[in-house]
Amino acid sequence: MTRRQQGILTGMPFMTHVSAKAYVDDAGRRMYFAKPPVRIVSLAPSITEMLFSMEAGEQLVGVTDFCDYPPEALKKPKVGYSNPNLESLVALQPDLIIAPNDFLKPDVIVKLEQLKIPVFILADQNVEGIFVHIQTLGRIVGHSSKADTVAMQLRQQVSVIQRRIQGRAPVRMLYVLNSQPLITVGPGSFIDQLIRMAGGTNVAAKSATPYPRLSMEAVLQEDPEVLVFPVGKAEGISESEQQTWRQWSTMTAVKQGRLHQISADWLNRPGPRIARGLDALAEILHPDSSAGSRAEPSHE
Amino acid sequence: MTDLASPWASAGAVLTVHRWVAVIGGLLLASVAILVVCLQFGATSVDVKTVATAIMHMLRADQEGAATLGTSEIIMVQIRFPRVLMGFFVGAGLAAVGVTLQALLRNPLADPYVLGVSSGSALGVALAILFGIGSTFMFLPILPFFGFAGGLLALLLIYRLAQSKGRLPIHSLLLAGVILNAILTAFIMFITSIMEPNRSAGLMAWLMGSLTAPNYPALGIFLLYVLCVLVMLMHKAQSLNMLTLGEETARSLGVETEGIKKWLFVLTALLTGAIVSVSGMIGFVGMVVPHAVRLVIGSDHRLLLPASALVGGMFLAVADTIARTIMAPAEIPVGIVTALTGGPFFLYLLLWRKDRMV
Repeated sequence: MTRRQQGILTGMPFMTHVSAKAYVDDAGRRMYFAKPPVRIVSLAPSITEMLFSMEAGEQLVGVTDFCDYPPEALKKPKVGYSNPNLESLVALQPDLIIAPNDFLKPDVIVKLEQLKIPVFILADQNVEGIFVHIQTLGRIVGHSSKADTVAMQLRQQVSVIQRRIQGRAPVRMLYVLNSQPLITVGPGSFIDQLIRMAGGTNVAAKSATPYPRLSMEAVLQEDPEVLVFPVGKAEGISESEQQTWRQWSTMTAVKQGRLHQISADWLNRPGPRIARGLDALAEILHPDSSAGSRAEPSHE
Repeated sequence: MTDLASPWASAGAVLTVHRWVAVIGGLLLASVAILVVCLQFGATSVDVKTVATAIMHMLRADQEGAATLGTSEIIMVQIRFPRVLMGFFVGAGLAAVGVTLQALLRNPLADPYVLGVSSGSALGVALAILFGIGSTFMFLPILPFFGFAGGLLALLLIYRLAQSKGRLPIHSLLLAGVILNAILTAFIMFITSIMEPNRSAGLMAWLMGSLTAPNYPALGIFLLYVLCVLVMLMHKAQSLNMLTLGEETARSLGVETEGIKKWLFVLTALLTGAIVSVSGMIGFVGMVVPHAVRLVIGSDHRLLLPASALVGGMFLAVADTIARTIMAPAEIPVGIVTALTGGPFFLYLLLWRKDRMV
């Protein structure tokens, strides 16, 4: 959407001059930047990662409590998370706030607009959308060539992964977002899409909601061949919790010992590490396909 | 408020042994029938024959046979049967606690969660999830232990707060409970607000109340525990009748009210703590089932208590079956179903009752 609307703008001859610095965010709001912002606050870990990946870390003056990658992000002032502290936000005197569409309280954005602080909203749609976001942010913050390189490399990595698993039979898998009660990802969620891209079939594909509490009966019926547990510092399923899944001894995944962990940050954050997450997932689902490219996502 | 029961006291005839046996016997039969019916429904369809063979396997404790079971039998034996049974006992416990507290506190709004023990349990679980301890010890799930410990601590705290000069005044018990409830709930909300969103979603899902399929050792311990407390509550049913008349009257009738009150408080708290630890907060059963049953069979606690327990069990078993199946393969929190089905039904009973009284 972002791209198309920018395309329309650039297509208007009398606006060509302005359009170089005019952007439309995912909430459909148009914004103009006379010069690249230099005091940026990021309200999502994924956005922080994007900015660092295009070497715009210097311009970042505030991040969320959960921004822990790259390590430099830990040194930045914290502003909270889904309910950020407005006073400390304003005290940072940002000239741009980049916010995710989900989980942020709507009244925060309204308030920031009242305070005349520009808020650029990013909505997660799909993997290609992440790369477009990186390029858009690159142009806004004045690092467009680096951002374009990053996006291009990520696209290459994804296509390498896709080629690797091409023609292979999809593997049935269950992504255990929460174990007690069982919550997983369903159609409409970002991770469900990654599962399909990595050559898997989500056993929760029939569910009607993006984050369903899945019936254990349905899990046994669908018989996943692989169980994937997200793990991380602040989230994820603990080791002993994972072991309780071994009680389902008739499940193919348990019989074949295919219980795997994956870094929650790689998959949950729609940022530049998504290619690494996709690579890890493809490796778990199709271990024979990697030909030694496991340690490092290939760069050819 | 002194005697909530009196307007309906005429509802049932005088309690006779014959009537007791008829009502309880009838409800027991209905319970068995309901449980069998609930076993038919689930996210996957399993036919009656599989239900039968699966139950046969279980009755023979056929460990070797278990290896040869097919998926639908495993679903029946390992998931659906323990869950339905668990739901029945959770419902029975909640309703029994509700009956007892409504009489003890002489307050028709009392439910198992009013005294703060439930929040203690919930806080215990929330802390365990916050520190990522969601695991098993030996073969038993460990979260319920944290919940139970939290509930016990809350129990002790409320007891100490409410007690004065060796007595346990009802109004200070209620006040201490309600305030502690508010404080503990604030702690839970604080924990949820500092958690990483994905994990707090898990905690919220747990708090909303959910029944899971426990393994058999855990189920066995829970059922035994609930049964023991239910029997002990039953034992005090006649004292509950006296207490609803007011403490003064009860004392003049020869009831040792202080001891009874303390004992009943401890019993209900122990039961609530255990129930919340395994199922989170399932609302509505503990408040509405006692009222509904009282409307129909009268307020003699010797009959009301076991009847409410059985009806509560059936109600939750059915509600959970709806929660398991209505959006299959996804499930919805059972508390939504209990409120949406129990509420209107209770209003209907209230109207029906009003018509008959006129």
